[in-house]
Amino acid sequence: MNIVISGVGGQGTILASKILAEAAKQSGAEFVRTGETIGMSQRGGSVLSFLREGNISSPYIQKGGADLLLSFELCEGARNLPYLKKGGNAVINTAKIKPLSVSLGNAVYDEAAITGYINENSSATFIDAEKIAVSLGNAKCINIVMLGAAFGKGFLNFGKETLIEAIKSTVKPQFTELNINAFEKGIEATEL
Amino acid sequence: MTETRYSYTRLRGERVEISEILSSRIENMRKLLLGNEAIAQAAIESGVGVVCGYPGTPSTEILETAARLKADAPNLYIEWSTNEKAAVEVAAGAAYSGVRVLVTMKQVGLNVASDPVMCLSYIGVKGGMVIVVADDPGPISSQTEQDTRHFAEYAHIPVLDPSSPEEAYLMTKAAFLMSQRLGKPVILRPTTKVCHASATIQIAEYRIQNIEDRYSPLRGEHCDDLKDLHRELPAGAPRFVKDPRWVIFPPLAYRRHNEIAEMLQKESESATEFDKFYNEHSRYGIAAGGVTWAILNDVLIDLDVIISRLKIGRPHPAPLRLADTFLAETECVLVLEELDPVIEDILISRKGVIGRDIQIMGKRSGFVSHAGELLYADIKKYVCDFLGLSNHDNEEDLIAAPDCTPVRAPVLCAGCPHRASFYAVKTAAKGKNPIYCGDIGCYTLGNAKPLETTDTCLCMGAGITIAQGIKHSNPDTTVFGFIGDSTFFASGITGLANAVYNNVDVNIIILDNRITAMTGGQPHPGTGKTMMNTDSPPIDIEAVVKALGVGFVKKCNPFDQVSAVETVKSAVDFNGTSVVIFEAPCINLIKKPKLYTVEGCIGCMRCVNEIGCPSIFVEDKTAKINSDLCYGCGLCQYVCKAGKIKEVTL
Ligand code: SF4
Ligand code: SF4
Repeated sequence: MNIVISGVGGQGTILASKILAEAAKQSGAEFVRTGETIGMSQRGGSVLSFLREGNISSPYIQKGGADLLLSFELCEGARNLPYLKKGGNAVINTAKIKPLSVSLGNAVYDEAAITGYINENSSATFIDAEKIAVSLGNAKCINIVMLGAAFGKGFLNFGKETLIEAIKSTVKPQFTELNINAFEKGIEATEL
Repeated sequence: MTETRYSYTRLRGERVEISEILSSRIENMRKLLLGNEAIAQAAIESGVGVVCGYPGTPSTEILETAARLKADAPNLYIEWSTNEKAAVEVAAGAAYSGVRVLVTMKQVGLNVASDPVMCLSYIGVKGGMVIVVADDPGPISSQTEQDTRHFAEYAHIPVLDPSSPEEAYLMTKAAFLMSQRLGKPVILRPTTKVCHASATIQIAEYRIQNIEDRYSPLRGEHCDDLKDLHRELPAGAPRFVKDPRWVIFPPLAYRRHNEIAEMLQKESESATEFDKFYNEHSRYGIAAGGVTWAILNDVLIDLDVIISRLKIGRPHPAPLRLADTFLAETECVLVLEELDPVIEDILISRKGVIGRDIQIMGKRSGFVSHAGELLYADIKKYVCDFLGLSNHDNEEDLIAAPDCTPVRAPVLCAGCPHRASFYAVKTAAKGKNPIYCGDIGCYTLGNAKPLETTDTCLCMGAGITIAQGIKHSNPDTTVFGFIGDSTFFASGITGLANAVYNNVDVNIIILDNRITAMTGGQPHPGTGKTMMNTDSPPIDIEAVVKALGVGFVKKCNPFDQVSAVETVKSAVDFNGTSVVIFEAPCINLIKKPKLYTVEGCIGCMRCVNEIGCPSIFVEDKTAKINSDLCYGCGLCQYVCKAGKIKEVTL
């Protein structure tokens, strides 16, 4: 399975890929690899995480190679959609983080065009993960809400228990409960 | 009699004997490790006694992981040194004493450390010394695309080039053994895509590599007698043995030069376990190294191509016999490697030696691009062009790239004190058309709109010194030099001494955010913390600057804009070298103190256009603040002349 996770620096894409890698490992995958493009991401740049399992040598997924795209931010979802296989699955957070270039008037963030592009090229599921995270009292758990949604849609090949175990073993102990809640809420959001 | 057990190592594709003693540890030792974590893990397992380095992407996590694993290695000493040169020298002293040492840095850090590294190549070491230098093809977060494999060749130091995290793990162990065997430092050169990739690694399985290794970290020496392995040296016994070999003099250097040349020549006769020729008896062949090797294998499987391949894991000294065999079996060779044509040059020279007319396609022949990473798509294209295969088979299967996505460049964080410092300097210098000399750190981002307060950036510490050269050639211009706190300790003090002693009228702004922020928050001599979890009296930057004899020194909080601007103005008026220290912590060191919100915005867009805080955005022609991102610094409130930005207490 090939998964691409995209977002903005600080949104916890790396943690999400760690959790999925841990889940893959626990469910007996022979080999798991992840790769990140971090670099200057800490300062609000675009970030991309790759996760692959199976008999492969490198973690980097080519355009058209991902079975699943999870995007924690709307326009990052569009930017990275070409990584998705035609007919692949995508879950995209509708929350927007406008880059500074947009506020300064040097670029436009055209929500309609972005959503239009995504819909035209995929059958992505949109969820407002930010709203759910905020309702749980911590916008930082957007990443886990997104994992919940991907699981709820049946896009992840792991059991629920495995994922919860992976969350428990990856996040800081004081955030375990919040994150498990976030995971459940993410699943619920796809059941509506 | 102990029963012999076997295990299959995926990486080497062969069965390896595991002794009974170790087999009990195998359970649950399959860990998901980042390349950098794997290097640290392997170093600890190799009995490393001293780890030092200077932070730099993509190498930083190696030392941080070693610090986390300290519990497994109670005698480990670990430090973030003030710079890479200091790190290599500290480590060398320990290695002279027989201790195994690991030094970590990024590729440009090796430039700083090149003085001790070049000399150490002659002097050699007693305890194994592995210098990890992370290269950054792209470059993704560096000033240059320099290739450490070339540096290693220039310095006559062996270098290993891992293709994956698990190979980085194995190579680290092999590097310690190699270093100890040759009595020379060994460079391990992972690239960003190895450092920041992770893989499930069988730790226990790989431990077998150490059965032969009778190095005792407790004694700081190789133990021929197994009994000694776990015995400490008698208390107080010095490990360092006095010997003329530790003093570099021209006659010694001359002698060592010949010895080293012979030693490396001899090494190049044999290949390591990381060099391999996969002979498929094809007329065409591909040679590769580093992460390119791993991606190449995926490409070949996807293309369903079977072809002879040469993998180079130790580019210097290159395995010449292996290269010769590869060339003897092929007629046309494609060389794929990131950065410099190192493998390609080896093959070109061997082709001359063995006198076979082979076509070698690579960077020298103009076939492969010199700069940047080799991504999957690039490698696929080169392989297809090389073999005359069509590469358009999946064009229509691809989703077309969007044209509606705005660029997202990195920016200074919301609430970053550097923004306030830059803004104060800009306000103070309004109308003077000053020149701003920047440096390496988060604050290099001060070059972006709307701040635009970085006109030059070269290398660590160059802000202060470039400013001096610019002042000499532009005497009537106001010139600023910026430098961060960690950079100041790393390589700013000497440049400042140069300015003061030569009485240059430059205005140096020290951006003291109390941490090495750019690389994720490492301590430095001004922070009062060490990597040994101890407190140390912080070195006071202001006192250092005063001691150098700077005539104008003032410290102030950049968020107090009124006095910040006044201070910079008087620094500019001062005739001679002046220093302003802006002290305020990086937001990652503090809890969000409060929030700000916009009420009744009149739409003048001053806050947006003046300071460029990423939490301020525009909606319906008015400014709004993203309450998640806002860190409550209050700079926008100062900037909003209409008084529409209000404080919200948390
Ligand atoms: S990490 Fe700290 S120093 Fe760097 S941009 Fe953010 S607030 Fe500024
Ligand atoms: S107070 Fe203003 S300038 Fe500071 S972080 Fe918040 S929005 Fe940005």
